[in-house]
Amino acid sequence: MKKVIVGNHAVAKGAQLARVEVISAYPITPQTQIVEELSELCADGKLAAKFIKVESEHSAMAACIGASAVGARAFTATSAQGLALMHELLHWAAGGRHPVVMADVNRAMAPGWSIWTDQNDSLSQRDTGWIQLYCETNQEVLDTTIQAFKLAETVDLPVMVILDAFFLSHTSEPVDIPEQDLVDGFLPRREARLKLDVDDPRAFGALARPDVYMEMRLRQQEAMEEARRVMVEVDAEWKQLTGRGYGPIECYRTEDAKLLLVTSGTMTSTARFVVNELRDRDEKVGLVKVKMFRPFPTDDLRRVLAGVPRVAVLDRNISPGHGGIFAEEIRSALYDLPPAERPPLHGYVLGLGGRDVTPEVIRDVVVRSLESPAASEREDLWVGVNS
Amino acid sequence: MSRGAPITDRVHGVPPVAVSDSDTTVNRTGSWKYIRPVYRDRVAPCNEGCPVGIDIEAYMNELREGRVDAALALLLRENPMPAVTGRVCYHPCESVCNRRNYDESVSIHAVERALGDMALEAPPAPPETPTRKERVAVIGSGPAGLACAFHLARFGYGVTVFEAAPEPGGILRLGIPEYRLPKDLLAREIARIQSLGITIKTNARVGADVPWTALDAFDAVFVGTGVHRSLSVGMESEDTPGIRPGLGFLQEVNLGGRPELGRRVVVVGGGNTAMDCARTALRLGSETLVLYRRTRAEMPATDEEVEEAQAEGVQFQFLAAPVRAKSKDGRLSGVECIRMKLGEADASGRRRPVPIPGSEFTVPADTLLGAIGEGPDFEALGADLDHDDWTLATDAFGTTTDARITAGGDIIDQPHTVAHALGAGKRAAVAIDARLRREAGETVDAPDLAALRYGRLGNVTATRWRGDDPVVRNGAVNKVVPYEELNPAHFTPVRVHPDRRLSVERSLEGFDEVNLGLTRELAMAEARRCFNCGVCNRCELCLIFCPDVAISRRPDGTGFEIDYDHCKGCGLCNAECPRGAMAMTREGL
Repeated sequence: MKKVIVGNHAVAKGAQLARVEVISAYPITPQTQIVEELSELCADGKLAAKFIKVESEHSAMAACIGASAVGARAFTATSAQGLALMHELLHWAAGGRHPVVMADVNRAMAPGWSIWTDQNDSLSQRDTGWIQLYCETNQEVLDTTIQAFKLAETVDLPVMVILDAFFLSHTSEPVDIPEQDLVDGFLPRREARLKLDVDDPRAFGALARPDVYMEMRLRQQEAMEEARRVMVEVDAEWKQLTGRGYGPIECYRTEDAKLLLVTSGTMTSTARFVVNELRDRDEKVGLVKVKMFRPFPTDDLRRVLAGVPRVAVLDRNISPGHGGIFAEEIRSALYDLPPAERPPLHGYVLGLGGRDVTPEVIRDVVVRSLESPAASEREDLWVGVNS
Repeated sequence: MSRGAPITDRVHGVPPVAVSDSDTTVNRTGSWKYIRPVYRDRVAPCNEGCPVGIDIEAYMNELREGRVDAALALLLRENPMPAVTGRVCYHPCESVCNRRNYDESVSIHAVERALGDMALEAPPAPPETPTRKERVAVIGSGPAGLACAFHLARFGYGVTVFEAAPEPGGILRLGIPEYRLPKDLLAREIARIQSLGITIKTNARVGADVPWTALDAFDAVFVGTGVHRSLSVGMESEDTPGIRPGLGFLQEVNLGGRPELGRRVVVVGGGNTAMDCARTALRLGSETLVLYRRTRAEMPATDEEVEEAQAEGVQFQFLAAPVRAKSKDGRLSGVECIRMKLGEADASGRRRPVPIPGSEFTVPADTLLGAIGEGPDFEALGADLDHDDWTLATDAFGTTTDARITAGGDIIDQPHTVAHALGAGKRAAVAIDARLRREAGETVDAPDLAALRYGRLGNVTATRWRGDDPVVRNGAVNKVVPYEELNPAHFTPVRVHPDRRLSVERSLEGFDEVNLGLTRELAMAEARRCFNCGVCNRCELCLIFCPDVAISRRPDGTGFEIDYDHCKGCGLCNAECPRGAMAMTREGL
């Protein structure tokens, strides 16, 4: 059934359909309608979950970890400073191999205070061991939320479902909401393997000496490698059921392209519009959308970008002192291609703190990339800023 | 869909997460601590504040658990007459209740009263026979004498009480009006005390009806004769007909008399006896005026008594003293008074009233009741005991200068209240028990006031003296826990349940009881307001908060054990304990 809903409600609906058992949240800014909706579903008896109200995001994640550790399907949502406050517990969730699913509404970090979108909050958590999936539409948000549980519980790793503030979180779009039976068939009740068992008491998260620590990290890394494959399988299964699949990356009109734009999040839709416009004028410009940032889709990107005359990576984030984070990661992925196949790559930093990435901005990126081949490949250009 | 590994799965030689091979008890985290928590029951302030020496906190705890019989048993160990004290005690326990700092004090008197009334419904126990050969004589059946007899009977002694009046009860029977203390209820409470095997001889004034030599047959004598010699008002023509002592008036009414007072009654005095006289006179149909030479603030009567008197229509003239009786046809017709002002503080700490010359005025009066105080009658004592004008000389347990004789109640140096009299009777019983058992060849230490009393100021408890406490104590120390050492975060505000009262109109129709107490349900709800200060009531917050799961319930339900092998000494249990029943001690000490 199609409904016109905001992204926050798409997340809540996805969590409800996934039959989450424990939700924990700190119900104040930067919290969103996601947990507001879920708390009402719990209060109204429409969702048989325990809603644990806590005093901070740090505690919210701790409660999710605890719930997950006893085998429950646990969920939370946050944003910006709230995610930052969780930082320590994000490591605990991942290192403890707890398949918690969390929605992060991508908001710019303070100061200055911002309630608008960019990706610095989630990208600051890059190395915590969480799978990260960036969404483009509210439909993708709902589908990804449901998929995330299956992915997380298959590989015992936590998953962050990421949506742009306002452009998705507070914007209404038609969303096809699957039937509960369909979701139940796709996502059965969690069968936890790593969990507390009162009949077999053990200490979790205990001291790991140098003779075992690295091996544990290696297993975590191997689980991430596994997640690359599982993500594709889960997505394919979902596509079979619903007709909707997304993949770790998506190629859009990339054939014979002289320039490929690489985007993530909602600016992808704007880029599609510009690509269609250019293609109508026989300008061979295409688009690659990156959905999965961790584990990083290195092989997929190498395959798509190898030999392309020019690549422009659009980053709605900045690693101060270095550059746009997607651009840096993609440069790194392409580094050991044979020199003839390694495309010139331009990085563009734009849209920070919710600044609109309009078709004009993307056209400007295209023009700069095609007409200024001398532009530095190592230094990202800031687009749409006052001089 | 599962692809992950179970805990036991090893790859690269390690499990999937940092998990131990066994449970955590192998790690003796308790070795890290330098302080350790202990359960340490302390004393609730109400217990210390009770002149009787009742374990109030303990019976409140039993009521919270719904064990009414156990609560009653605890109460009746220390207080022989809770139905009486629940009505007439001025409840100093409530003035020190820690809950007053949180919302309102627990209405302890109302709970005690409800329990006392329940006890009267129980079928009378069969009479007990003394287990010891010694016999004790008690002179006076007021609260002090009855308390002494009660405790001695419980200790196994045969007791005979000699009462001068035709009915037992002393001031309770003769002084306190019916509307404050119904006499049928008093009689039933005394009957229960008697059922312990106590003989009460009425119309038996020692020295008149019974010769003093008759007491030689007893191994010990307790004197609880009280004070009933009304003090002179100190005015001219005090012998005018129509002027009479207030206490005598109350006695007459309490024995069924309904004296003619005339239309206008003046009561002189500001204590509870004055209030009793004024309110009784109102009920006999007179207009009543109280003359008091100081102000409302200095009145020794309890606030409740004064407020009820005012509500019923008693008039007050403060800073006024009678100077001279005026008469007409040989009977009192008026009282000439003089205005007073407050001067320097006197020995009692109250400001001394000073007459204002030329301020005389007259109030009409048909009867004047003097209620400025009562004194003892030492002449009637058939023994040569040290005393001053007002009190017998005794030690803390009531032993007089003649070791065979102990004393208690208003005749010794203590406040003239029913509760203090009951407390003194108990102390005397302890002293007598100690002496008689020692004389019988038993090894008995002299009673130690500091050890036997609640806290620093409370009364002696018979339970501690006998060492037969039915309550399991956890490392008890005899210190009162102040409000600052409670953790009110775990409490919820609940307003006190106010006593039900008869309307003023109904009150003035006769001598029906005015204060109707609480329903049984509300009394139980009131008991649940008790914080159980200083005493573990098994709320289990320590167990819930212990991050090391080092606290466990004792199998017998009497409390908790701390596994010191794993307690890290974080102190959370102690910090969370709502009632200050834990403490942190230095490790190894």
